[in-house]
Amino acid sequence: MRAFPLGAALGAALAFTGALPLEARAQNKPRPGAVAAVALPVDAIKRLKSADAAQVQGALDDVRMSGRDGAPAAKTIVDVLDRGLSPALTLAAIETLGDTQSPVANEALAWYARHREVGIRRAAITALGKLHGAVPAHALRGALSDPDEGVRGLAATEIGGLEGNTQVKETVADLFLALDHKVEEAAASIGQLCEPADCKKLAGKLGIVPFDVMAGALDQVLLRPPKDIDEATKVDIIDRVRELGTADVHQFLQDLQSKWPPKGSARVKATIDQAVTATTGSPGRRSPEAPQ
Amino acid sequence: MSPRRSLSPGRLRALAAAALATAVSCGGGQTRLNLFSTDWSDDEGASIGRIYDRVGRAPAPPGADVAIAVVGNASRIVGMRLSEPGASKWTFAHALDGRPVIAGGVVVASGSGEVFALQAATGGVLWRRPTGGLPLLGAGDDGAITVMAFRSAGGVGSVLLAVGRDGQVVRQIETPKALGTPAVLGHLGFVPWAGQYVSVIDLANGDEAARVTVRQETSRAWTQSGALWFGENGFIRFDEHIRDASKGKASTVTVPARELPGMPRVAPPGDEPMPAAANALDKTREYAKPMATPSGAALEDGRWYGTYFRIVMGFDAEHDKLAWVHMQDADIVGGAAAGGGLVLCDERGHIAELDAKTGSVVATLDLGEPVESCVVNVDSLRVPGAAAAAKPLAAQLADAVRAEEPQLVIAQKLLLRELATSEDEVATSALVDAASDPRTSPDLLPAARDALANRRNGAAAMEAALGRHYDFLKDVLRSPPVGPMADALGAMKDKAAAPLLIAHLFDPADTDDDVKRAAAALALIAEDDVAPALRQWFGMYRATAANDDIAAAVVSIADALVIMDDKPGIAQVEAAEADAATVPYARERLAPVLASRPPPAPAPDPEPKKK
Repeated sequence: MRAFPLGAALGAALAFTGALPLEARAQNKPRPGAVAAVALPVDAIKRLKSADAAQVQGALDDVRMSGRDGAPAAKTIVDVLDRGLSPALTLAAIETLGDTQSPVANEALAWYARHREVGIRRAAITALGKLHGAVPAHALRGALSDPDEGVRGLAATEIGGLEGNTQVKETVADLFLALDHKVEEAAASIGQLCEPADCKKLAGKLGIVPFDVMAGALDQVLLRPPKDIDEATKVDIIDRVRELGTADVHQFLQDLQSKWPPKGSARVKATIDQAVTATTGSPGRRSPEAPQ
Repeated sequence: MSPRRSLSPGRLRALAAAALATAVSCGGGQTRLNLFSTDWSDDEGASIGRIYDRVGRAPAPPGADVAIAVVGNASRIVGMRLSEPGASKWTFAHALDGRPVIAGGVVVASGSGEVFALQAATGGVLWRRPTGGLPLLGAGDDGAITVMAFRSAGGVGSVLLAVGRDGQVVRQIETPKALGTPAVLGHLGFVPWAGQYVSVIDLANGDEAARVTVRQETSRAWTQSGALWFGENGFIRFDEHIRDASKGKASTVTVPARELPGMPRVAPPGDEPMPAAANALDKTREYAKPMATPSGAALEDGRWYGTYFRIVMGFDAEHDKLAWVHMQDADIVGGAAAGGGLVLCDERGHIAELDAKTGSVVATLDLGEPVESCVVNVDSLRVPGAAAAAKPLAAQLADAVRAEEPQLVIAQKLLLRELATSEDEVATSALVDAASDPRTSPDLLPAARDALANRRNGAAAMEAALGRHYDFLKDVLRSPPVGPMADALGAMKDKAAAPLLIAHLFDPADTDDDVKRAAAALALIAEDDVAPALRQWFGMYRATAANDDIAAAVVSIADALVIMDDKPGIAQVEAAEADAATVPYARERLAPVLASRPPPAPAPDPEPKKK
């Protein structure tokens, strides 16, 4: 930990040391950094320390190719970043740190999530989304208040799939606030993280938030395992969706019907089937790509 | 029945002259002497001295303390005595073609082709006379005779009309000269004209009994608090020194010249008719009450006042300083200075009496309805002192600067300058608020930021403001004025501000200029405990600074690290200076920063060798 308490900007985020049990995990989310690993070249770390930009770039490429196996290089990359790199190498280093998924990168990426250049902030947010734990979670929550709309949306997306977030309840509260501030990406992340009560609260946004945004969010909720979201909650949400009675709703329910796991809840399945039947012929334009 | 014919302007003028001629034939004598001639030779005060000896030593009759207003689309006058709180107001219904005037204890107004006089205290009708629609310029009254000036039909020349209490015309004088607002004293009419003369007309025979040349723009004569005064934007007293007026030695007092928005005047020109409805000139006025003193004349209470829409400012005449600011709830359309304070009338029909010393509201009256214009006359009324302590001036200024009304911005800029000169820490808080508040007018913001940068107190308020950051989810959509506060805190060597400024270095919502100034301040106030954060920032930006402002901030942070002699930081700066990736603006300035390091302390002398 650095000596300076980090002031008002980042101190709280980086000083956090609590540990709460993990209560939510992303669904269907292959980690972006989880690529087939290539062994880290033995001279990669040496080349990272080079004064030659091309050497550094080549080493960063090699570390990225190694994916998680590049983690031993993460400390060196952080050191190099701390000394300062050109904008192009800064971006490459941030992306590489994300791919290593090394906790060593947490703090550095949290700093860069506050960089003045929006491109660098977006890269840092994306990289933080690949990491794990409280520091990235706090940095991503902070980025929901970023002055840049794109950064806010990206942070809202990444936070839903973040592993090791020990403050899920607070995160969901932030995401609701973001959704109320028209950060639509927050809806899907709420769907990934919400507990039943919050999931129902999310369903309460039907008719307020555009349905295409809500569809992605409710899809996340309804396909989560029964240990996370109980049958009654899912049935309640499906009933609320059904009440909208539009062609888009019918399409959504049909899609859900087709994706429903064979071993999934029969009661929920029956509710979906009834809703599909009830909304057949509902008014409104169907999406062109919707299967007929 | 004969068809109705429309009247041409020429025929209207002829009818107006005929109407006044009729009035004359019903009453006193008509005078057609060569009055108001410009070939007059200055008699060095001889004639006016004689007049002073004749009538000047006795006090002028008292006037009414009253407020009157035009209401109902110029169809009524409402009036209320000021000296009797709770007194019932009076109403007089009559079409009005101009602003009524208060002359002594009489209200004079015109409309529907006639001029009429009312008792100012009650609204009772004293008399009416036909005028043919001539515009009323002004009037004076001594309790027995009312003298009025009208603009002649066609707009060239004037008519002076004196009417007794019985409604009979005492004297009528027509002249091609533009006359101002007259006064009456001892059966003599005092008539200003040509901006520099006051002719004394003997109403008994119509002769010009005296004339005085004054050295101040003069279009008005009036009696107040027992004295006769001439002037327009200043006050010349009719006293024993009046005979020296042409030499510029009359007893004179003026409102100090001061830059005020709208270039307000103490009184509108007395030779121009005033419209029935108030306009912008009525809302941007100066007020002052002259008073007789043993040495001549002075401003009552040492105060004068300025209004700008609903802002009222009280000034200390002796020290030429703003003393207080009052915000009325509605635009002010009329008023008068009184002993002990100021009486103001706003467009909602509310009358406020303000304490001269503090600006506190000490009494309020209500005319009962919105007004189109308002005229206040004060003679002997004295506003009682404020019962409660007023806010400090800085707080009053802060309230005025915070008002969210675009039309006030010009005055707010002036008040902001006043705020900037205040030593009170409240002023710093107010400037922080003004520079932080998203509702502050863009026209006002640069001045607020500049003033804030020059503050040398109020560090606590600035630190509190620096604790705030842009926060989209909390709807804080504007960063605090980091740059100006950094300038001030740096100049104050406020070391406690360092962590707060560092937090803003890392805030992407802050402007480049703010970051540059925060970094410059940190070079002055940063201490060892913040070195790691400074190294972090330096590393993040020394090669990614997107513009010269951020590059300048990089140099300032390098300076800070060097000043605090932070060894790892200095090594980082040395490496950056040697690295081609460092942005050129910063790189070329890092060498001088490194060169500014104090020389290392000399090593202790080695132990002398034993021989």
